[in-house]
Parts: sequence; C-alpha cells; structure tokens
Amino acid sequence: MDNIKANNSGFKPEDFKIIGCDNADSDAMARPTITYWQDAWRRLRKNPVAMISLVVLVIVIIMAAVVPIATGWDLYAIDAVNKNQGPSSIHLFGTDSLGRDLFTRVWQGARVSLIVAIACTIIQAVIGCLYGGIMAYFGGIVDDIMMRIIEIVTSVPSLLVNLLMMMVLGNGMGALLVAMCITSWCATARQMRGMIMQLRESEYVLAAETLGASPKRIIIKHLIPNCLGVLILNLATHIPQYIFTESGLSFLGLGLQAPEISLGNLLSAGQEQMMFYPSQLICPSIVLVVIVLAFNLLGDGLRDALDPRLRQ
Amino acid sequence: MLKYTIQRFFAMILTLIIIATATFFLLAAVPGDPLVTKAERLSEEQKERMYAKYGLDKGVLERYIITMKGFFVGDFGESITFPGETVWSIAEAKLPVSARLGIQQMLIGITVGLGLGIIAAMKKGTWADYTIITLSILLISIPHLVFGLLLQYIFAGGVVNILPTIGWPEGDELWFGGWEYTILPTLTGCFSYIASYTRLLKTSMLDVVNQDYVMTAESKGLSNMRIIFKHVLRNSFIPVCTNLPMSVAMCITGSFFIEKIFAIPGIGLYFTSAVQSRDLSIVLGWTVLISAMYIIVVFITDILYTVVDPRIRIRGGKR
Amino acid sequence: MENILEVKDLRVSYHTYAGEVQSVRGVSFNVERGEALAIVGESGCGKSVTVRAVMGLIKGPTGEVKPGSSILYNGEEILNYNKKQWSAYRGAEAAIIFQDALTALNPTMTVGKQIAENLIIHKNLNKQEALAEATEMLRVVGIPEPEKRVKQYPHEFSGGMRQRVMIAIAFACDPKLLIADEPTTALDVTIQAQILDVISDLQKQHGTSVILITHDLGVVANIAKHIVVMYSGMIIEKGLCEEIFYQPKHPYTWSLLNAVPRLDLENKQDLVAIEGTPPDLIAPPKGCPFSTRCKYCMNICNERMPEFTSFGGEHKAACWLHHPMAANSIKESGLEFPFELGGVENE
Repeated sequence: MDNIKANNSGFKPEDFKIIGCDNADSDAMARPTITYWQDAWRRLRKNPVAMISLVVLVIVIIMAAVVPIATGWDLYAIDAVNKNQGPSSIHLFGTDSLGRDLFTRVWQGARVSLIVAIACTIIQAVIGCLYGGIMAYFGGIVDDIMMRIIEIVTSVPSLLVNLLMMMVLGNGMGALLVAMCITSWCATARQMRGMIMQLRESEYVLAAETLGASPKRIIIKHLIPNCLGVLILNLATHIPQYIFTESGLSFLGLGLQAPEISLGNLLSAGQEQMMFYPSQLICPSIVLVVIVLAFNLLGDGLRDALDPRLRQ
Repeated sequence: MLKYTIQRFFAMILTLIIIATATFFLLAAVPGDPLVTKAERLSEEQKERMYAKYGLDKGVLERYIITMKGFFVGDFGESITFPGETVWSIAEAKLPVSARLGIQQMLIGITVGLGLGIIAAMKKGTWADYTIITLSILLISIPHLVFGLLLQYIFAGGVVNILPTIGWPEGDELWFGGWEYTILPTLTGCFSYIASYTRLLKTSMLDVVNQDYVMTAESKGLSNMRIIFKHVLRNSFIPVCTNLPMSVAMCITGSFFIEKIFAIPGIGLYFTSAVQSRDLSIVLGWTVLISAMYIIVVFITDILYTVVDPRIRIRGGKR
Repeated sequence: MENILEVKDLRVSYHTYAGEVQSVRGVSFNVERGEALAIVGESGCGKSVTVRAVMGLIKGPTGEVKPGSSILYNGEEILNYNKKQWSAYRGAEAAIIFQDALTALNPTMTVGKQIAENLIIHKNLNKQEALAEATEMLRVVGIPEPEKRVKQYPHEFSGGMRQRVMIAIAFACDPKLLIADEPTTALDVTIQAQILDVISDLQKQHGTSVILITHDLGVVANIAKHIVVMYSGMIIEKGLCEEIFYQPKHPYTWSLLNAVPRLDLENKQDLVAIEGTPPDLIAPPKGCPFSTRCKYCMNICNERMPEFTSFGGEHKAACWLHHPMAANSIKESGLEFPFELGGVENE
C-alpha cells in the first residue's frame, strides 16, 4: 500500500511540477446538459408502448379522415337488399339494418367522436387556464368566490349536469360541446391555479426576481414550461373521457341523434341487432376501445416522461 | 371537530340551495311544455286543473318559491308522467336496487383493486406486475357501456347461456338473494374500480417505498411483510382516499348505463326516462337528492382522511 | 477482537439512465470497539452510501454493492447475510440515525409505536411492555413529559425533539454499533450541541461504537477518536483526530480545515471556500479526483491516482505531494501551509 520506492523508477521530475488548478475547468460539467423537453422526448421515445400508441393514434386519425370519403359508400342511402350482412370483402364490417356500409359509418363515427373530444379538450384547456390564471392573479376575495363556484359545480356528478344541459339545449353538436365542457374545465382551472400559486411562492422564482428577471421572462422561462407539462398530461387523459361521455350520452338517447353518426349511436344501434348480427355491435366497440386504449397508453407514457421527479 | 361539522353542514345546505336554484331555472328554460302531449286529449277545464296542480299556471318566480318551500318541508315534487309517484315513493322503490348494485360493485372492485395493487407493487418488474398493469389499462379503456353490452351478448346466448342477462331481484330478495341476476351488472361495474385502484395503489406504494421512513423501518430489522403492512400501506392509502368521492360519482354515472343495458329498475334508469319524457319535477327533485348524497359522501371522505393522516387536523378542531 | 467493524475495498454503484455512478470506489476503514470514528467530506462524496452499505440498505435494482467488497462485523461477513441474519443484525446489533428526522419518521404512526416496534421484534416484549420501555427511552434522551409524548405523532414534535426520537429508536435495543448520518445538519446550532451531547453520553454509558458522518469538521473534534476524510467516493486521508487537526497531509483536508471558523484565532480570519465542484462519478478521472481543485496540482496528479503514504501510526494520506520526488518541489514553490498548527513535516 505504501510502497513508494518500488514505483519510483517510472517517474520523471517534470511530473512533479506544480501546475495549480484551473477553476473554470473544474466547473465544466462532464456530461452534456439536456433541457427538460429534450429529456422528456428522449424518455417518451424509449417507451415502446407509448410510441406504438402514438403510431396507432396517427393511423386512427388518418383512417377517420380518409375512410368516410374514400370507400365510395353513401353514409345515409338505404339499401334494402343488402341489409344486415356480415363482414365481407365488399363490406369490411358488414352492413347495418338499413343496408348501409358499416366500415364507412364506423370511421365516420370515429371522426365525429374524435372531433367532439378534441374540441371539448381545447375548450376545457382555454377556459381552465383563463379561469385558473385569473384566480391566481387576483387572489383574495376574487379567488375565494371563484373557488366556491368551482366547488358548487363539482358537487354535482358531471353526467347529471351533462344530461340536464342536453335536455335544455336540444340534441345538436353545439349543445353536446357545451354540455360536456360545462363541468370539465373545473379540474384544469384548479390545477392551473395551484401550479401558478406554488410557482409564485417558490424560491427559484424569487431568486429569478431578485436577479432582475422581468415578469415576461418569468412567465416564459418558468411559468409556461412548468404548466405545459401538466396541461399536456391533463388533456391526454381527458380525451378518452370525452369519447366515453359522448358515446354514453348518445347511447342513452341524449347525445347526437339518429341521422348524425357517432360511435355512441352506432353502439346503441348495434345493441338492438346484437343477438342476431353481433358484428354490428362488435365493430364499433373495437374501434372505440382501440382509440381510448391508445390515448390512455400514450397518456401513461407522457406521465412518466413529463414527471421531473423521474429524471435521472 | 363539532364546530367544523356544523360549519360544513351549513355550507352543504347552502350548496344544495344553489344547486336547486340553478337546476330549477335551467329546467324552466327547457323548450316546450311537459304537459302538452298529455293535455291534448283533455277538456279545457281538466287542462286548467292539471296545470294548476303542477303550478304551471303561475309565473316562474312564484313557482320557484313554492318549489323551494317544498324542499324545506321535504316535499320534492310529484311526477308529471306518472301521477301519484313522488320523488320519495320512487326513492323507496328504486333506491335499494341502485344502492345494492353500487355497494356490490364498489366493495368487490375496490377490494380486488387494492389487492392487485399491492401485488403489483411488491412484485414490481416481474411478469405478475406487467400482467396486472397491462390488464388494468386495458380494462380502464373499455367503457362500462361496451363492457356491459359485450358481457350481455356473451351470456345471453351469443356464446354461453348460463346467466340471466336482464332484470334484478325484487321483493324479498331485494337485498339478499337473486344473486345470479346481479352477477353481470356487478361485474360490469366493478372492473373500472379494479383498474383505477390497482394503478393508484401501485403508484402510491412505490412512492412511499422510496421515503426515508421506510429506510428507517428497514434499519430496525423489520421483516418485509411488517414494513409493508405497518408502514407502507397506511401511508399509501392517503392518496387513495382522495379518490373515493370520484368513485362514488363514477358509481352514480355508471348506474345510468348499467341499469339501461341490463334493464334494472333503479334510479339511473328512472332518471334517464324522466329526462327523456321531460318530467321536470322528478328531474329537479332527483338532481338535488343525488347531489345531496354525493356531498355527504365527500364530507365522510374528508373525515376519513383525517383518520388516515394524523397530520391533517380539521380547521376549528382541537390541537 | 479489537475492531467491531472492518470495511475492506467497499465499492458501491448506482445504475441510472445516464450510466453507472460509482458512488463509493474502494473504501477501507476499521471501527474500534467502543470508540467513535468520524467520516468527513462534502455533499455527494459517498459518506452516506458507505454507511448505508454497512446497514445493508443499498437496494436493487439501481443500487449495487460490487463483488470483492467486504464488510466484517465482529469478524463475520455481513454482505453474505441472509434475510433472517439481516433482521437480527439491523436494529439489534447496528442502528442508524438519519439526517432529517422529519422524513425519517413515519408520519402516520405514533412515536411510541415506532420505538416499541424495535423492542417487540428484537427483545420479544409484548405491546404494553414495549410501550412502557419506549416511554422510558424518551425520558433517557431528554424529552419532557414522555408519557404524553409517546402517544403523539412526529409532526407534533420540534426538529430537535424529533432527532431525539430518532436517537431513542436507535438506542432502544442497545446496539453495539451506532451510525449517525449527519444527525445535526438539519438543526439549529444550539440544538446541534445538545443532540451531540445526548449521543456521546449514551455512547459512553453503553460502550457503543459510533460512526459519525458529517461535513462539518467542527462537530467531530470532541467525539471522534479517528477521522476518515472522503472525497469523490474515496478515502484521501485518515488518522487519529489530533493528527488530522494538527498535522493534516492532504490539500483537501487543509481546505476543509480552512473552512471551519475558529475561536482561537483573531476575528480577522477569512473562511476560505473550496472553489469548484467534485468530479462527476459517472466518469471519474483517472488521476487524483481533487486535482482540478487543488492549488498544488502537479502533472502526475492528472495522470495517476496516488497511493497512501504512511506518516506513522495509522495516519495515512493519498497525495503525490508526499512522494519523495515531490518533496523538493514543494519547498521550492515556497508555499505556506494553510493551517496554523499543521504543516508538512520535512521528512
């Protein structure tokens, strides 16, 4: 251990010249620094399940956009001869009780359901952010009153509110959007408020302010990156919920109604034919489940990727 | 504690008044007249009497005051579509049905969910963990609706024919018995609880396992089982408790679909048909009643929370 | 048996996304029976990881004690223990006090139960006996009104009181070896002294051997017999307390001592900060890890890791400055040694 003599021969005098230290050098990091978003993206990419879901979602969106136009079948024209057919090469999912091509109709339904879900999510995000921002910005009594409003809205199970709104507004697409968004923004607003409040009290924002950062810089550098992750996650988990609610309302006969096509409508039509022509129930069910599953799995991957505590 | 309960009680009453008011005016804006179809065949005099009976000959404000007065003395209104049926008589007949369905699915769902969550967390990284978590994500992605319909199809003769797929035990068997009728609806309902509680408990347990006090427990030489049951579980239940009100809301929401699919004569089915037939007084009464039940559950959860987590002392409480 | 604990060539790594972090890279030291050993070093130098390995708290899949490492407790290799042996060893033979008592105590369990747990499994007491004993332990560590306190939860205690509870848990089964992982870091200066007093009183009464971890050299002066100085996962100097304080040999130890405020000097003394940061342990340098921050860095320092030079007794330091070929260059450079009473002996 202490046997210096033995090693002696290998050294040259200049080895022992004092060179001192270069402090600038020692502060340099040995690994490259990566930003939060780069890191999040890297971790998402490494997650095979999330990436497959992403691919599936892209395919679903393309199908929903293209299929209803491309198959050439009319969505509404009744064909009394070819009704209730099973799946075949002409009709991939078969036909319904009025002889309409189910493949075309299911993808049209998926398109409507997706549009509704995405529109609702955007509305939810915008209203939620504004409301939460106002609460956090003004604070005090404004915050108190706005919080009470949220508490009252959330103290009724949301499906009940949805049903009441549909009853008042009728069965149109606009009514559906309003009915579904009327409760959902609360969660986003609460989350945004909490996020901003927490940030405002956090020590690193105080430090940034002390260093003379302008409010604009604090919002761009600290507020938006912090909130965006939460928001993206929030939205990814809400889209499946909207698809559920939409199909549920349509199934109960209180969503979009007959001539309109949505996954919920197709399901309730499928239930009527279920005992004799199960494909009419199963096909729309599978598409619905695939869409929701893909969103859920992607959301799960995003949760892992965006959680700063999991950074290593 | 008492002070807090009283405060909460008045806050609950106030919330309910606001909900009732909002619902009332919302329903007053419903286009069309609920009596139109019924009144067509009646004489002018009968029609007037009927409108008077439901107070529809009066102005909105006057009707509002009458309705609210009714709420305070416990009169929640009478059905327009089915004269003679009141909110209370419906509650007596149909609430036990929905309650049994709800209790059965929540009990089974939450118990199984928590059990699987423990297994998944303890066997983290093994095939058992992956299977459980994959299945739970799969299950959470199947809506009640689709799940119920598929189960019904499978058991109604599509594949096998061993269970009744429609109906619900009544009479003497209202609470116990007639189990075969309850299997499919309960199964439909409980899967979403299994899925969400499994994932919730697993995440929460893994969070707790990394806490310093678990290391302290290990350094005391406790066995793994003891650490999990004495230290990890109780702390892991804290976030699980927050989810309880949501589960009750899910139970109410789910019952609308399950009861419709399996033709179960419960509150959900009744409410849906009341909405469709624009039976305004029933819709109003039940909205308030369901909200009241929900608010009470949230209150109970808050109390439960303080039992599980001693750090939370209720405002106005001692210490 | 002279030594209660012998650690030989301990290596611990953590596997992360970025690569393998070699937290501890070949650490060897002994703890004498009934004596206190202090491990000193700045944050992230591997002190805590070292003692966690001694308690068997390095957990997979991320943490790994590398093969070839050896930890002998009373001559027994504890790294080969099975579950049952670990259970009997932890808590009864060896106990640990963590830095932050707030996070190290279970928030949802009363303090009494947390102490009693130890007694129930190691001393086979029933619940009542264990709780009575726990109350007694609280009294011993200086918590007033222990009968009332025993039924309270950790959040109802102040920081100093919580740390006393931790000490009560650790001493409950009268362990032979106590590890204190920065027990006073999270506390006020006035409370720090009290906590150290409690620990050293109990140590003397029970003849416990202690490993005390700290980044503050001022804390160890009165307690420890031996001091081990760690830097970036390695021991760079070790020796008796007096040797380290009065004849430090390693430039890092000099810097550490310069960072301690002293009462025996006049008030004009400047506290010298150590510039720079320790090396990244994912890719440790091949030379001396301190070379980038060392005023006396030589060419050889960046090339090869120095071996230990012995200065009589157990005092050893790993630094090229003590190589025979370097002795001249130090003299020529005419550098003054930073610590008043210390200084390199011109051998």
